[in-house]
Amino acid sequence: MGRYFLKRLLQGGGVIIGVTVLVFVVTRLVGDPVKVMLPLEATAEQRAEFEKQLGLDRPIHVQFVDFMGGLTRLDFGDSLWQRRPAMRIVFEKLPLTLELAFMGIGLAFFLSIPLGIIAALRPGGASDRSTVFLSLIGLSVPQFWLGLLLIVVFAVQLGWLPTSGVDTPAHLIMPTITMALPALARLVMIVRSSMIDELNQQYVRTCFAKGISFYRVVGVHALRNAALPVVTLCGWELIRAVAGYSVVVETVFAWPGLGLTAIQAIEREDLILLQAIVFTVAVLVVLINILMDVAYKAIDPRLKLA
Amino acid sequence: MKAIRHVVCIVAGLFFFATPVLANEIIIALGSEPTTLDPQIREDGGERAVNDNVYETLMARLPDGRLSAGLAASEPKLIDAKTWEVKLRAGIQFHNGEPFNADAVVHSVKRLIDPSFKSEQISFFSTIKDAKKVDDLTVQIITDGPDPILPGRLYWMKMVPPGHSKDPKFAETPVGTGPYKFVKWNRGQNVILETHPGYWGAKPAIQKVTYRFVSDSGTRLAGLMAGEFDLITNLLPEFTKKVPQAIHMLGLEHPIIILNADGGPTKDVRVRQALNLAVDKKALAEGLFEGYAQIAQGQLLSPSFFGFSKSVGPYPYDPEKAKALLKEAGATGATIEVIGTAGRWLKDREMVEAVAGYWEAVGLKPRVRIFEFNEYLNRLFDRKTRGDAIFVVSSNELMDADKSFSAYYKAGGTGSSNSDKELAGMIDAARSETDVAKRAGLYDQAVKRAHEQAYFVWLLNIEDIYGVSKRLAWPGRVDAKMLVSEMKVK
Repeated sequence: MGRYFLKRLLQGGGVIIGVTVLVFVVTRLVGDPVKVMLPLEATAEQRAEFEKQLGLDRPIHVQFVDFMGGLTRLDFGDSLWQRRPAMRIVFEKLPLTLELAFMGIGLAFFLSIPLGIIAALRPGGASDRSTVFLSLIGLSVPQFWLGLLLIVVFAVQLGWLPTSGVDTPAHLIMPTITMALPALARLVMIVRSSMIDELNQQYVRTCFAKGISFYRVVGVHALRNAALPVVTLCGWELIRAVAGYSVVVETVFAWPGLGLTAIQAIEREDLILLQAIVFTVAVLVVLINILMDVAYKAIDPRLKLA
Repeated sequence: MKAIRHVVCIVAGLFFFATPVLANEIIIALGSEPTTLDPQIREDGGERAVNDNVYETLMARLPDGRLSAGLAASEPKLIDAKTWEVKLRAGIQFHNGEPFNADAVVHSVKRLIDPSFKSEQISFFSTIKDAKKVDDLTVQIITDGPDPILPGRLYWMKMVPPGHSKDPKFAETPVGTGPYKFVKWNRGQNVILETHPGYWGAKPAIQKVTYRFVSDSGTRLAGLMAGEFDLITNLLPEFTKKVPQAIHMLGLEHPIIILNADGGPTKDVRVRQALNLAVDKKALAEGLFEGYAQIAQGQLLSPSFFGFSKSVGPYPYDPEKAKALLKEAGATGATIEVIGTAGRWLKDREMVEAVAGYWEAVGLKPRVRIFEFNEYLNRLFDRKTRGDAIFVVSSNELMDADKSFSAYYKAGGTGSSNSDKELAGMIDAARSETDVAKRAGLYDQAVKRAHEQAYFVWLLNIEDIYGVSKRLAWPGRVDAKMLVSEMKVK
């Protein structure tokens, strides 16, 4: 077990370094922040001078050595765009993104289980068909559109909720729902299909035959066996929430988290900040994966982690 | 009945929180958060929107764009070819009590032009070499050559307190001389300003202003409609009918198409003229901008800019004449590569595509190539890959012809596609001509020459559109500064 986690950590470290190096190379090859930072009308000499001041005129291998040196100290340098340490910006924004991701995916998880089970109890029945139908809608609706729709209805028309921002718990409601919906749709489908499989197993019939209560059979025995794919998907949704959905949801709701910051860093070609963000997200992805392994083991002690 | 009463109560309660603002407070939604509140380091619209109210400059502008004295007591005087002398207003203090005097000016100038400070604003001030104190209220600013635009440049340089600006926390705790003082910056959420009781000028009507940062234009609009904001920036033309008030005024942005005058089919002046005549600019303004744009006057200048020539107007929309000119030049059916980008400027891609459509209608074969912004910039800055025609939006904050003309009109400029030595000579001469009338004359000639030669397709002059709540009154300004001191709550 211990050896297993050590191995996973080492692998994860490899992934993180690989991703970070890749971002370093790609951003340096594709982008030139100086062009975007100075006014269009600045002269070529002014651009060259500014590039020199930022140290971006140095050969790429020199910059790389510098960068790797900084990486060992978790110091990526100052953001070109904000002129303050990139990691400080990341740590400032990260809690907001995590809050939104955990709220959204948490909501999706807790709603998906009862909904999926209800659908699975009578496959092809009315509740099943309507659940599948709604899930398809949830999967098909683009998130930015859903977000704007919620804003128009609940903030502009009804005036119940604030349109954007982070001041109060009320500000969290619409972003959470927007974050949750696609994840909820996918999770419901998975809970439903795994539960259908489980409920058709022999042991379920045996349990019922022995007179164990309905709730115990479905809610404990069958659900536990059906849980593995659900947990896998949940972890995956969490990763997508942090590394993907956050960009859209945070932009629509002006939620000043890591996703919005990433978009802004890309627009402004802030290589340094972008590296810090990608590094942090890579670390999170690796950590979530390891946590999922732990969850597997907890759910199904028969599993051998190797 | 009871249910209705409940609903009314709930709705009323929610309205209360949807309009949290008091009579003399307003909330402004900006598209981006300032990255710093140091007024001298970045080229950043969010930072400017806030700091224009906290800081002041030696020269200011009236709402119609004319230069006027700000912290200076009078217009700067030229005492020799390279020295401008500025007299300062007496008795002004920064919000923290530091005096505003010659030392503060010298400090502000030197701080900004110091290369190790790495200011992105340096291209506005590259002619300034030094600043010297003469007495407590007199400063000399020394330029590297004659610089007639210096008063205009001073309108762009914010004055910072010598003591506090050395504090490492200065970028988060701005201290200026302006009508509003900084209260709080909750990163990611808002910046709050309040009136400064000891302000030297007229007392503003609005007591408190909160800036919120909402990058999505749809969300900004929703916030205005829900009554959360009083003023939002960059309202899309198609939304103007939905908001309580839309304030619009001619802005500083000019979309143009730069034509290659040195090679390809556009080498022939008749082809370049035809490309101008072929485009229905009025239809562009109405179709793409819902009328919130004016037809450019055949020059890269707005009427409020120095150097604007009244003697030149737009090329008319005359597709028949365009066809005739193309035929005469033997260019009918020629392929013209036109380069653009998408999503950087309002309607950038749409404009390029519409123009290509007009060119096609007069018998050319336009080849539209839309690039991602960085690749587009590579092409814009490198003449070899710029194609026959490239779209760009020029913005001119100094409101003086020099900046746009040096970049786009003058041979060898970063965005210039001609090698017209005569034109370059006029622009160079105007750059160091300190006689205002002579300088205006030189620009008049330059504008005429570029217009005759049709080095560009001048398209539009875009209007800035702001969405405004019912209760806010603001006449707006041509220089796009959002000065809260000029706003009122009805």
